[in-house]
Amino acid sequence: MGKIEEAVHEIHHIDATAGEDKWLNQIHPLPKLLVTLGYIFIVVSFHKYNLSGLLSMCIYPMIIMILGDVSLKKAVKRMKYIILLLCFVGIANPFLDHKVLFYIGNIGVSGGIVSMVTVMLKGVLSVTASYLLIISTNIEKICYALSILHLPKAVVTVVMLIYRYSIVLLKEVQRINTAYSMRAPKQKGIHHRAWGSLVGQLLLRSMDRGQIVYESMTLRGYAGDFHMYGMKKITKEDVLYGAAWGIVFVFLRAVPVFELLGHLK
Amino acid sequence: MKQIEISHLSFSYGQHGSKIILQDIDFQGSNNESIGLIGANGVGKSTLLKLMVGLELGYEGELKIEGTPVKKETLAEIRAKTGYVFQDSESQLFMPTVYEDVAFAPRNYGMKPEEVEKRTMKALTDTHIENLKDKHIYRLSGGEKKLVSIATILSMDPSIILLDEPSVALDPKNRRNLIHVLNELNGLKIIASHDLDFIYDTCERTILLGDGKIIKDGDTKEILTNQEMLESCGLELPLSLIRR
Repeated sequence: MGKIEEAVHEIHHIDATAGEDKWLNQIHPLPKLLVTLGYIFIVVSFHKYNLSGLLSMCIYPMIIMILGDVSLKKAVKRMKYIILLLCFVGIANPFLDHKVLFYIGNIGVSGGIVSMVTVMLKGVLSVTASYLLIISTNIEKICYALSILHLPKAVVTVVMLIYRYSIVLLKEVQRINTAYSMRAPKQKGIHHRAWGSLVGQLLLRSMDRGQIVYESMTLRGYAGDFHMYGMKKITKEDVLYGAAWGIVFVFLRAVPVFELLGHLK
Repeated sequence: MKQIEISHLSFSYGQHGSKIILQDIDFQGSNNESIGLIGANGVGKSTLLKLMVGLELGYEGELKIEGTPVKKETLAEIRAKTGYVFQDSESQLFMPTVYEDVAFAPRNYGMKPEEVEKRTMKALTDTHIENLKDKHIYRLSGGEKKLVSIATILSMDPSIILLDEPSVALDPKNRRNLIHVLNELNGLKIIASHDLDFIYDTCERTILLGDGKIIKDGDTKEILTNQEMLESCGLELPLSLIRR
């Protein structure tokens, strides 16, 4: 299976996983969305030197992965490129901030190194939280939650359509790539001379297919509104789920748990 | 009442109508008729179907669906009565599962959940794909996709069904199955295809298009056995008729 085909397959697989009958998937999308947004907000709010505080926030993805039966291996595999990219964020910090914060043995650890790790961790945790939302909630439910939050209808529709268009686009990339490689078997990748025309082709073809999808939707009564059917009403358990995580996040943000545990020794 | 009434219909693309696609098209279609629309590539078959559902507008002449003229203001009404199956079924399906895709139209027309369920299940039963109900779209074969795309329009309970090249890329078994499904369906069916054997098996009436005009409108067998006329329009005798 080619890389693009694998990507399309992965998207469909994530969609299928989000539709499975698991307890995490059954939670109303609104508390899940709010918990994710709240989590990201709190993670990002940690000071650049507060590594221990940030580490305590790992508890959320760990618990969700265990209880929700989410494979860590698959998660890492799916997010590997984003994680790699995140590792480059803040890579310049050690060169800019030389102030020594503490020593490990005789080696001084500078603020730049701590802030670099903090920035990386913030990115990884935020992406992981988003992944956990996506793996347990399909795009229709996320859009439903966004509409409950009274986000403009146009924004919700655009989110939904971008998702659909991304699949159309990927499939077209796959077709073009296959057609190219069949006629250039000894080449690795696509020669730079062909990039321009292929990108043009990709745009035109994906727009054509996008047009068919849109026409198909309008022919079946679509008039700018996605009707959210079969969405369950919010229950006490859902509220409790959201509230419990909210309390945990605020507690972890306010109380330096790891530092307190260290003092207990 | 005639379900489709087309008179003196002409359509052209480009600046000031420089590229003429259809000229002076005249025909009518009644309930439970099955009409084949045949002609060589680029003759205007797909355009004619698209005009009938308002995917193309700006035609000259008259085009009425159940007495309602096809124009921008009446599109919602027209589309509720007319189901259109695209040539590329894969692009037509966009929801995650078969059930969701088939239920898309009744939901969009604001039907109650019980009605949505009833119509969706009926459409799946009519196309003999109840077993695919919970299957993900990306896991379907080409033949299954074609049947699902038909089910997606049947759930609207249309009185007119338009199919654009329905037999393309189907293996013999799926093709036979599709013929069986189409022959069981009620309502006016218009099938555009250059698979003349398929037209022979599904339509009792055929309209032959050539250069954007109707060359002949009549009995399928009569048209499909007229070698000279078919060849003059860039077509050939159906294989099944050659063998006989």
